[in-house]
Amino acid sequence: MEMAANPEPTLTKPATPQVKLRIEQVVKTFQNATQTVEALQPVSLDVYEGEYVVLFGPSGCGKSTLLNLVAGFEEPTEGKIILDGQAVKGPGNDRLMMFQEHALFPWLNVIDNVMYGLKWERAYRFRFRARRKKAVELLEMVHLTEFAKASIHELSGGMKQRVALARALAPDPQVLLIDEPFPALDALVRAKLYAELQDILVRTRKTILSVTHDPHEAACLADRVIVFTGRPGRLKAEIRIDLPRPRDINDPQVAEYARRITAELEESNEKEPGTKA
Amino acid sequence: MKKNPERKHKYYVLGFYLLLLVSWQLFFSLNLIEDYLFPAPADVARRLWQLGTEGLLWPGIEATLVRMAIGFSISAAAGLVIGFLMGMSRIINGCLRSLFLGLQTLPTAAWVPISLLLFGLSDHGIYFVIIMSSVAAVAIATSDGILHISPAYLRAARTLGTPAYAMPFHIILPAALPGIITGIKLGWTLGWHGAVSAELIKSSVGLGYLLYMGRELNDASQVIAIMLLTILFGLLLDRFLFGLIEKRIRVRWGLESNSYS
Repeated sequence: MEMAANPEPTLTKPATPQVKLRIEQVVKTFQNATQTVEALQPVSLDVYEGEYVVLFGPSGCGKSTLLNLVAGFEEPTEGKIILDGQAVKGPGNDRLMMFQEHALFPWLNVIDNVMYGLKWERAYRFRFRARRKKAVELLEMVHLTEFAKASIHELSGGMKQRVALARALAPDPQVLLIDEPFPALDALVRAKLYAELQDILVRTRKTILSVTHDPHEAACLADRVIVFTGRPGRLKAEIRIDLPRPRDINDPQVAEYARRITAELEESNEKEPGTKA
Repeated sequence: MKKNPERKHKYYVLGFYLLLLVSWQLFFSLNLIEDYLFPAPADVARRLWQLGTEGLLWPGIEATLVRMAIGFSISAAAGLVIGFLMGMSRIINGCLRSLFLGLQTLPTAAWVPISLLLFGLSDHGIYFVIIMSSVAAVAIATSDGILHISPAYLRAARTLGTPAYAMPFHIILPAALPGIITGIKLGWTLGWHGAVSAELIKSSVGLGYLLYMGRELNDASQVIAIMLLTILFGLLLDRFLFGLIEKRIRVRWGLESNSYS
C-alpha cells in the first residue's frame, strides 16, 4: 500500500516523467443480496507518460476490477482515478480498453471496425476520407492491409487481436487499457504478437495499463510489473523490467524476470496468514 | 468428418419423399382406395396443370404473395419497433412479453372471426390477420435478440466513445440481428398461415380461396394441389430466402461455423 507514488525515474524514461494516470486510494466493494465482497483494498498507483505497466496476479485478485474502474465501466466505492489531472467519469475513448474477447463488431468489415471509433471524434466526425486514411495507416502498422475488406469471422485469432489493437489505437487514446491481451492463442502466434506490439509501442509511445496472469507476458511487455494478491486485491510488490526493447519472450533474461515475478507472488501468498506483508 | 454423414443424410431424405410419392400412387394403381374418395398423385398433378392453363393459379398465388408482402412488411416493422422498446426497457418488456406470449397461444385462424366483425369482407381484414398472427413473434424475437447481445459489444462501443443517441442504430440493432432475422423467419411462417386461413373465408382470390373453391366443388384434387402449392411457397421463402439470410448472418456473427466453405 505504501508503494503509492514512486518518484524514482525509470531508466527507459525521460528524466522527469509526468504522471499520466493516478489511482488514488481506490476501494471497490461489490454488494449482492447476501453479502458484501471486498474486491479491492485501498490501491494507489501512478502510471507515467509513455509507460507500460502490467498488473499481474492470480485470477480473482481484483486486477481486472481495477482496469474496469479506470475504463469507467464501474465506479470506485472510494477514492479517485485521475487522468491528466482530471477525475474520470464513465467510459470514454481517452481510456480505451482492449478486451480479452476481441469484441470486434461482426456487422462491420475490418477497415470499418478500425474506423468506427473515429466517427465520434470531433476532428473526424464528418470526414470519411480522413477516417479512412487513418484506418489504412493503422492497418499497415499491424500488417493487415490486404484484409481491409475481410469479414471478422474470416480472420484468425491473432489477426483479430491485431485488428482490435488497430481499432483501439485509432482514436489516439491517452491511456490504452488491455485486459489479458492475447489469451487462447498458440505460442508461435503469441511470440509474434508480442514482437509486433512492442514495435508499435516504441513507435507510438502510448501509456498502457494492462492485466495478465502470465508472468512471461508481463516480463516481456512491461516497464513495470505490479504484483497483486487476492482477496481482497491489494498491491504487493513492484518490479521494474530494465531490459532493452524489443524483447523476445524466449530471452533468458525475460525468463529470469518472469521467475522473479512468480516468486514475488508466491512469497506474498505464503505471508497470507499474517496480514502484514 | 462432418460433411459425409450429412450428405448421406440428404439421400435418405430424398429417398423418403420418393417412397412416399410412389406408395401414394401405388394405393391407387392397385385399387386399394377408390379414387372418388381421395385423389391420386397423377390426378393432383393434372388438376394443377389445368388450373395453371386456365389462368386461375397464378392470380391466386400473386394475390396471396402481395397480401403477405404488404401485411408482413407492416407486421415486421411494428414488431421491430415494439421488440426494440421491449429490449430497451425492463418495464415495457415485463408488460408486453406476457401479453404476446398469451396471444401466441392463439391459433392464427382464430383471428379470422374477429377480423370479419371488424373489417367485413375487405382485404384490410386479411392484413389484420397476417399482422396479428406474426407481430408477436417478431417482437419477442427482437427483444430476445437485444437482451442477449454479448456485453462485450456494448462495452467496446462505450469505450470507443459511442454517444448514447448512436447506440440503437450503430450497435444494438446490428448486434441483435441474428435474433431479429430468426423472428422475421418465424413471423413469416405464422403470417403465411394467417393469410391462407383468412382467404379461406373472406376472399375471392388467393391460395386460400382456391382451397375453399376446391371444397365447394367437391374437387379433392384441387384441394390437395393447392395445399401442396401452399407448402411449397411457404417453404421456398422460409428455407431459401430467410433461411439463407439467417445462415449468412449467423456465420458472420461467429455463431455458427461455415460448413459450406
